[in-house]
Amino acid sequence: MKILVPFKSVPDPNDATVVGAAASTPKSVINPFDEIAIEEALRIRERGEAAEIVGITIGAPTVDEQIRAALAMGVDRAIRIDDSRALDPYAVARILRVLIEKEAPHVVIMGKQAVDDDSNQVGQMLAGLLRWPQATFVSKIEFLSNKTRARCTRETDAGLEVIEIKLPAIITTDLRLNEPRYVSLPGLMKARRKSIEVLTCDQLGVTVRPLTTVLSTARPPKRAAGTRVESVEELVTKLRQEAKVL
Amino acid sequence: MDFAWSDQQRELLDAVGRFASQQLNYDVIENDREGVFNHEAWKKCGDFGIQGLLVPTEYGGLGQDPLTTVAALERLGYACKDNGLLFSINAHMWTAIIPLVYNGSEAQKKKYLPGLSNGTLIGGNAMSEPNSGSDAFSLATTAVKKDSTYVLNGSKVFVTNGPVADLLVVFATVDKTRGPDGISAFLVEKDSPGMNVARKLEKMGVRTSPMAEVFFENCEVPEENLLGKEGGGAFLFTRSMTWERGCILASAVGSMQRLLETCIRYANERKQGGQSIGKFQLVASKIVDMKLRVESCRNMLYHYAWLSAHRKSVYLEAAMTKLHISDCWVKCCEDAIQIHGGYGYMTEYEVERELRDAIGSKLYSGTSEIQRNIIASMLGL
Amino acid sequence: MAESLVLIEHDRQQVKRPSLHAITLARKLGGEYALLVLGHRLDGIAASLVSYGACAVVVADDPALAKPLADRYATVIAEAARKRGAKTILGTSSTFSKDLLPRAAALLDAPMVTDVVAIEEMDGSISYRRPVNAGSMFAIVKVEGDRRVLTVRGTAFEAPAADAAPCPIKRFDFDAASLPNGIQFISREERKSDRPDLTEARVVVSGGRPLKDKETFERLVGGLADALGGAIGATRAAVDAGMAPNDYQIGQTGKVVAPELYIALGISGAIQHLAGIKDSRIIVAINKDPDAPIFQMATYGLVGDLHRIVPQLIESIRRA
Repeated sequence: MKILVPFKSVPDPNDATVVGAAASTPKSVINPFDEIAIEEALRIRERGEAAEIVGITIGAPTVDEQIRAALAMGVDRAIRIDDSRALDPYAVARILRVLIEKEAPHVVIMGKQAVDDDSNQVGQMLAGLLRWPQATFVSKIEFLSNKTRARCTRETDAGLEVIEIKLPAIITTDLRLNEPRYVSLPGLMKARRKSIEVLTCDQLGVTVRPLTTVLSTARPPKRAAGTRVESVEELVTKLRQEAKVL
Repeated sequence: MDFAWSDQQRELLDAVGRFASQQLNYDVIENDREGVFNHEAWKKCGDFGIQGLLVPTEYGGLGQDPLTTVAALERLGYACKDNGLLFSINAHMWTAIIPLVYNGSEAQKKKYLPGLSNGTLIGGNAMSEPNSGSDAFSLATTAVKKDSTYVLNGSKVFVTNGPVADLLVVFATVDKTRGPDGISAFLVEKDSPGMNVARKLEKMGVRTSPMAEVFFENCEVPEENLLGKEGGGAFLFTRSMTWERGCILASAVGSMQRLLETCIRYANERKQGGQSIGKFQLVASKIVDMKLRVESCRNMLYHYAWLSAHRKSVYLEAAMTKLHISDCWVKCCEDAIQIHGGYGYMTEYEVERELRDAIGSKLYSGTSEIQRNIIASMLGL
Repeated sequence: MAESLVLIEHDRQQVKRPSLHAITLARKLGGEYALLVLGHRLDGIAASLVSYGACAVVVADDPALAKPLADRYATVIAEAARKRGAKTILGTSSTFSKDLLPRAAALLDAPMVTDVVAIEEMDGSISYRRPVNAGSMFAIVKVEGDRRVLTVRGTAFEAPAADAAPCPIKRFDFDAASLPNGIQFISREERKSDRPDLTEARVVVSGGRPLKDKETFERLVGGLADALGGAIGATRAAVDAGMAPNDYQIGQTGKVVAPELYIALGISGAIQHLAGIKDSRIIVAINKDPDAPIFQMATYGLVGDLHRIVPQLIESIRRA
């Protein structure tokens, strides 16, 4: 079985607390949900159910560092679509769709959302474009019927839901699917011998224009600082009399 | 002179930093209090590739050069607060792995290096004795050849990793009358009959690194476990000690950097008398001194490693590096405590532990006095 | 006349009220809007939707839609949008709408904006404000094209008034036999609770990892929630540790709530969690660590051991 894992390079969400990073420039990492997807693909392979794991990403050469991290985790080969434009989820889905059709994987596993954009759209849009089944916000994956179907547990607002989908399909990962392994130095060494193929949209034969434009970004207004209370009695009194919420 | 790291080195160092900060900082205060060795953290380091950094790839290591290795250890010291864990890793690398790499037979290397590289085997050495510390070569442990074994008798003290080691490089004399030329090194596996790893020793600092006394009472060691040749032990020890002196405080440079950053943050946040204490010159001056120390130590460390990588003689540089970093580390820790005031004295703030850990650096791998003697003699005095 | 189509969510018995909040945005956008429900045996649900000022309640009712299978639902939504000439398709953010609407967007060749919290109109074009980076920033975006799909953050829009004259209920016909067959529903947890819905409750009491285990979590967090007639929430850490089920999780990738009163027990205040509670009117934080980031956001902060404090708090509230 061939697994395709699309992943995105995002600014490190833990930047303030990452120790060991040298000065200044904002660090980029593999989107945490995509890292979970890569980890799941690796575990599926370790179970003997997959033979090849291909990582794909869209971006400028600066994202090669994240590609090497994915290869160091154990992805077999990687493809970077060279495009440094600000793309919206629909543009990403339209580009990835062409590559997926070309690579013809049995399953695509990817993060449910990117932690910088928080849109949670690409996987579902891909499934729509390809007319493939989808399983979103998945916390467990099992392959059945000689890997023609997958049984997936989904995390929904009402609790856990179990569905079965025919393959090939799109699966998006949620937090509790697994805990990704850290990149080891032996993995890093091995990764240096793995290949990164670079393609342009032209070479893929796809021309897309993002339909969404970000006009501006801003910080939300800070909540006014509150007060400390010293006892339960004081808290209850303030909630009752000051906040009038009890 | 190119002071920049290559892309590959930077990638490796960043991976070390990420790994250490996320995986190695659990329960450090409790483990230090109880003197507990973190087996899980050791194993993670082994899986990650730390212990085998320098080991040639054909024996399961990563074949990295000395400069990349010390930089990795520096980054490890920056990102990992458990100085005891790092002390154990260092003992393992310099006292067990290096002698095997340089003096091991093919069979010995094949047998032990893969496990030592991935951390499944823990190594150390047994050199010091109750009556021989600085005067190492006056050791009294004997090794008598009997048929196809050597029989060891004696007692060793300050054996780092002793309680958990799978393999110790034990130094004993086959002929006391030959002085240093009688000293030989032996690979002794744990639970060898006649080998008794006795009580765990409690220390002031690096308490998460286990240490014990080890007694040998008619301990039989197969002759194929002689490391190097009979009488070659002193040379072997000196060579591995030179590595140790140059490299063992690489992680201390990282620790100092971390302390420096902690102090800067604290000095900016802590306000007294209506302003940040960092604005007081007496506080700022200490931080400036810390910065100077970090920079000079780092430069000495890298220079030593560069010379080593280029196979130049480093006996002098190793002693200078060890002496200078240990002095600076202790001073940085003292300054860090002072800058933090009362909080610097509190266990919770993890500043006092750094000083307790640092003091040992003026004692192990040759005391500061010994390093000065070495440097003096290398200067022709 | 551009029409909006609002996807309404239900649980087979009744409408999920937070999903109605998208109607408020549809009203703000101006023009006519229709409400869309999918499922099976929807008469009662359809009837409950006639007073929200829509031009029609569109009902796709068929056994093939008994379960919310993404491929079938998205196909029907896209078809309904096309047939009715709808240019804006909206829903309130939920795992239901997030599963379906992006797929429908792709079928409609339309871009989509997730978690709209406000709109602005300038020179005849509309821009949408949405949270990014776990809510630590906002982005103002505009979209081009003939159609667009939006999800709205329920807590950012008021519940719509149901005081309009009743509108017609229109049955939407489609070819059920040609619907996709790639997804099969197997099972769903059904947990009945007497407590209010987390996203609708006036009071939410939430717990973090210091609650230690499921029993303690239920006793303290549940106990306090019950004393206040509120709902229970949890941090990711608490859910990961098995103290609470996933649907209690509040935060960047869980639920976003904005109750009158949010009480955080043993929660340090990771950015990802704060993203889910920022718009609560009153936030109370109880934590042993005086430096916990949550105290910077809390209206009232009490430093101390929650295991000691919460029973006292429950007692104090019950006494009054």
